Amino acid sequence: MRKIFGFHGGIHPPENKHQSLEHPIRDAGIPAELIIPVSQHVGAPAAPCVEIGQAVLGGDVIAEAIGVVSVPLHAPTSGSIAAIERRPVAHPSGSEALCIVIDTDGEDRWRSLEGVEDYRTADPAQLLERIRECGIAGMGGAGFPSAIKLAPRNPIETLIINGTECEPYITADDILLQERAQRIVEGAQIIAHIVQPQEILIGVEDNKPEGIEAITAAAAGTDLQVVTFPTKYPSGGEKQLIEILTGKQVPSGGLPADLGIVCQNVGTAVAVRDAILDGRPLISRVTTVTGDAVSKPGNFDVLLGTPMAHLLHLAGYDERKNRRLIMGGPMMGFSVPTPLAPVVKTTNCLLAPTESELPTPPPAQACIRCGMCAEACPASLLPQQLFWFAQGKESEKLEAHNLFDCIECGACSWVCPSHIPLVQYYRASKADIQQQRKDQAKSDYSRERFEARQARLEREEAEKDAKRAARKKAAEERAKAAATGEGEEDPIQAAIARAQAKKAAQTNEGSGESELEKLERAVVTTQKRLDTAQQKLSAAEAEGSDLVDALRTGVEKTQSKLDKAKAALAEHQANHSEAPAAAEEPPVDAAQAAIQKAMQAREADAQKSPQEKARDQLGKLEQRLAKAQQRLADGRAAGEEDKIIDALSASVDKLREKISETRAQLAETESA
Amino acid sequence: MADTSYKDLSLNGLWKNNPAIVQLLGLCPLLAVTGTVVNALGLAAATTMVLICSNTAVSLIRNIVSDAVRLPAFVMIIAAAVTCIELLMQAYTYELYQILGIFLPLITTNCVILGRADAFASKNSLAPALYDGFIMGVGFGVVLVLLGALRELVGTGALFANMDLLFGPSAANWRIVLVDDYQAFLLAVLPPGAFIFTGLIIAAKNLIDMQIKKREDARKAKPVKGAKRVRVTGTIS
Amino acid sequence: MPLLRITSPHAHGPMSTSRVMQHVLLATVPGIIVLTHFFGFGTLVNILWGGIVALACEALALALRGRPLAFYLKDYSALVTSTLLCIALPPYAPWWLIAIGVASSVLLAKHLYGGLGYNPFNPAMVGYVVLLISFPVQMTAWAPPRGLGEVPGLFEALLACFSPASFDAVTMATPLDVLKQNNSLLLEDLWQENPQFGRWGGIGWEWASLAFLAGGLWLLYQRIFTWHAPVAMLVAITAMAGMFYDNGSSASGGSPLFHLLSGATIFGAFFIVTDPVSSAVSTRGKLIYGAMIGALVYIIRVRGNYPDAVAFAVLIANFTAPFIDYYTQPRTYGHARKGDS
Repeated sequence: MRKIFGFHGGIHPPENKHQSLEHPIRDAGIPAELIIPVSQHVGAPAAPCVEIGQAVLGGDVIAEAIGVVSVPLHAPTSGSIAAIERRPVAHPSGSEALCIVIDTDGEDRWRSLEGVEDYRTADPAQLLERIRECGIAGMGGAGFPSAIKLAPRNPIETLIINGTECEPYITADDILLQERAQRIVEGAQIIAHIVQPQEILIGVEDNKPEGIEAITAAAAGTDLQVVTFPTKYPSGGEKQLIEILTGKQVPSGGLPADLGIVCQNVGTAVAVRDAILDGRPLISRVTTVTGDAVSKPGNFDVLLGTPMAHLLHLAGYDERKNRRLIMGGPMMGFSVPTPLAPVVKTTNCLLAPTESELPTPPPAQACIRCGMCAEACPASLLPQQLFWFAQGKESEKLEAHNLFDCIECGACSWVCPSHIPLVQYYRASKADIQQQRKDQAKSDYSRERFEARQARLEREEAEKDAKRAARKKAAEERAKAAATGEGEEDPIQAAIARAQAKKAAQTNEGSGESELEKLERAVVTTQKRLDTAQQKLSAAEAEGSDLVDALRTGVEKTQSKLDKAKAALAEHQANHSEAPAAAEEPPVDAAQAAIQKAMQAREADAQKSPQEKARDQLGKLEQRLAKAQQRLADGRAAGEEDKIIDALSASVDKLREKISETRAQLAETESA
Repeated sequence: MADTSYKDLSLNGLWKNNPAIVQLLGLCPLLAVTGTVVNALGLAAATTMVLICSNTAVSLIRNIVSDAVRLPAFVMIIAAAVTCIELLMQAYTYELYQILGIFLPLITTNCVILGRADAFASKNSLAPALYDGFIMGVGFGVVLVLLGALRELVGTGALFANMDLLFGPSAANWRIVLVDDYQAFLLAVLPPGAFIFTGLIIAAKNLIDMQIKKREDARKAKPVKGAKRVRVTGTIS
Repeated sequence: MPLLRITSPHAHGPMSTSRVMQHVLLATVPGIIVLTHFFGFGTLVNILWGGIVALACEALALALRGRPLAFYLKDYSALVTSTLLCIALPPYAPWWLIAIGVASSVLLAKHLYGGLGYNPFNPAMVGYVVLLISFPVQMTAWAPPRGLGEVPGLFEALLACFSPASFDAVTMATPLDVLKQNNSLLLEDLWQENPQFGRWGGIGWEWASLAFLAGGLWLLYQRIFTWHAPVAMLVAITAMAGMFYDNGSSASGGSPLFHLLSGATIFGAFFIVTDPVSSAVSTRGKLIYGAMIGALVYIIRVRGNYPDAVAFAVLIANFTAPFIDYYTQPRTYGHARKGDS
């Protein structure tokens, strides 16, 4: 006998399961209309891929998965697409959602289905793809795409098949255990083949003796272990079930896979089995219809998309007795706005209680801090403290008290003697905090952007200042140089450099190769420098900056340097290439050749660049013009002084002139 | 604050900015010695005298003392005033002096006095400062006596016991027994009673303020007769 | 009729605040019967008169605060407060004493702080302490138990309450009082000297304590509260008394059994310490809270000025309850224990 662990808290609400267990599973048939919401699972809604009026066969894909966390949808039977529109659905938000509506033809014609021949030899990845294609999402209630859950990052030690079904009233899993135990076992084995666990457990509460008997018989001879444990709500919660069976707790914010555990509902196991062995997509499920407002409660095998009204009608629904229609159980289910809403993949139960059965909650009394909620909480939270903070909207305190570990099982509200709707407070607080986080992220982003902009502006200002200072200094030096009568030093330096280069070339003929490289590098870097300088210059010109002069001289200087470097390179090359042939000859010719070469290169450059340069220039001028015009218009609109308007319009005129000039130039160069 | 009118000063000291129940200053003596009317009256008188003396002196020297040393200077003045009052009481009302005990010298540390010296007297000329000291003292004293009376009444069922301590032997029979055969309700006379009754007095004051405000609002809200509707939308051509 | 839209959970357990309060009231019945048997109808008259005053005060406070009267009066909380207070008051107390006590409880300790659920201090004990420090004479005047004096009838009890002047009360020091005054006799001699000592505690007291124990155990069985706080208190008081018993010298504080069955120990453990509003909530917190009260009761009984100490101990512990709760938060599911990495 396997050791059973307990979990903190929990409650024992009246089970009310016998009502719906009196009959075997009934077939709900094919309703006239199927309404299939595109979002029946956690993740991105599927995208409809059919057109209105299109005829579909059973099993045809009618909506495709979008992204990773998504599953496709299939036509549950044959018919034609009647509409793709928003319809009321069963969703906690109570809103409408996009649905594909199928007019059924009652013939139930199917696309041919093909199962996997032998899954034991199949590649798990291929099986996972099949599971995904068949649209399987967790059928216990959450609706998480199963293919993702079955492809965990960590190796899996334990596979848990969840047949706990701890919520009162619901018997969908119980009846599956009783009637389809063999299929559950097959499904579990397929899942086991995919995740390769060391042990496979089927967890069932001890209030389902017939189910336990059936599944134990079906599991005999396999490596599946059926584990039973005392009934307590909410032992069917994934985290609680894991603690019961393994004694481990899923880390806060983590996944069961972090512990090497994967949990799947028995219904999901059956769906996986059908998908792999029969190739049948998920188009129906077993749903419990119960409550005192139906005269023939029981379990139904129902096509997805069947309107709840159809199902209720089959169960003998008396709408006069019913004031509240609940999808799911009385603890965690949500009220459905209208019986026209369809059954979806996660609809494990439809509960139609009478007022005396589930009375409308009375107004809340004051919290007397009795602590019953803390005793009942399966997450070991302090619900009364959370309630206190939720009333005061103290988000930080709420988070410090682990509000986000609340699984909303409703045990605290159930025991609360003051009838305080605690879970409602937590839901609202969670939503508030998430909104706050979103807003916070947004404002952080804006602040970062603002700060970055501020920093950039400061940096630019500093750069400008530095440049201004540099230019001033340069101007001063130039002035000084002019005053002392010294000419531009460049020719002299160039001469020296040339001489040095020559000398170097002559002396180190052995290392001529590296000398060549050096020179080449010099040319390349100088060229680069020239390019950047030119860019800067044109930018400055475009902005009308006062740096234009300084930049222009810079460009000129760099240009001359480039010329020199090229000349030096050519010279060297000439030297070097001719050296073996006429070593003794003076390098006059070589130098001349180099000069010629350089000239040629320059000409080529010049031929190419003026055109481009002119184009650049033209673009920039146009920009400037636009800006100037804008400024002029602004000035006029703002009613600036005449003087300023005049100046602005003059500058606009000038720019226009320049542009036409540049255009002419461009045309000239192009024609040439 | 050249335009400080004496009416404003009075209103501030007695009601709007009452040191005891609005500023909540000097709570220590307020809570400790208001067990009976005579104690409250004695302390109220002593505090008022000190306030007048200190405000006067501070106002006189306000232009001589530099900012940096003003607080020690004020405290010295207050301490001197307190010592004088203490000696006077020792001379003329010895028994009351003994009952008030440590709370007489502790007047020095009463925040009302230093507060008024620093906030008002050091910024105003002699006459307003003197008047402010007087009226703040009276405001403080009224609350003290009210509290003393309430506590004495609830605690012992009588009023004005032992008034001879303050007013001489002729006042010995001023005691009025309001409830015959009253069981002493010690809680009122003990410190918790002081807290509870102070709270009630503050609550009553706030209640009155609220009523006044409501009445004023109601008066303001009355539409003025003959007012015309003003066009607030559209363009005016 | 449109369908109701309510969020989960849709089901609710059978417990309600009114029912909790009713249970507490019911659980006091055996104790009240024993008290009435030994001391006459005084306690019963206290409770009835106190209940009327409590409801009147509650209604007044609710009306002043603009709350619906019927809804809040139905929660029985005022009745529980007044009943617990009146059980602790001496029988044959005058009407005004009871009225002041109940009014202090309901108005001062409860509604001034925001009503049920918001009071940091146990209202019944606040009322008791207000009376004890204001009227020490009346509050220590206990009637002699049956067998040691005439037990007054119902009419005399009513007379004692509503016309105190015309009732000549016979009073006797309580066993705890006697023990407190003792400074020369060995405990054995003290027991012989004073007729009010019974087999373990005081005559009448020991049986009343046992009756309250029965009521408390029933509440425990009904899951109105958990065992932690009462058991911690009783263990602490037993441990303290055991440590300082020294076999009954004249300086002894009394035997553990005497402390358990005297005064308001049992009554306090099951009816006062378990008041949810003013006590610690977490399980460990309740243990600390209860143990603290137990230790304080012994210390104040033996070293303090007043013979019984439950009220003071509870009020002091009430102060610490939020602090205790803060440091005894349970480990949430999926979170590492503090200290674990």
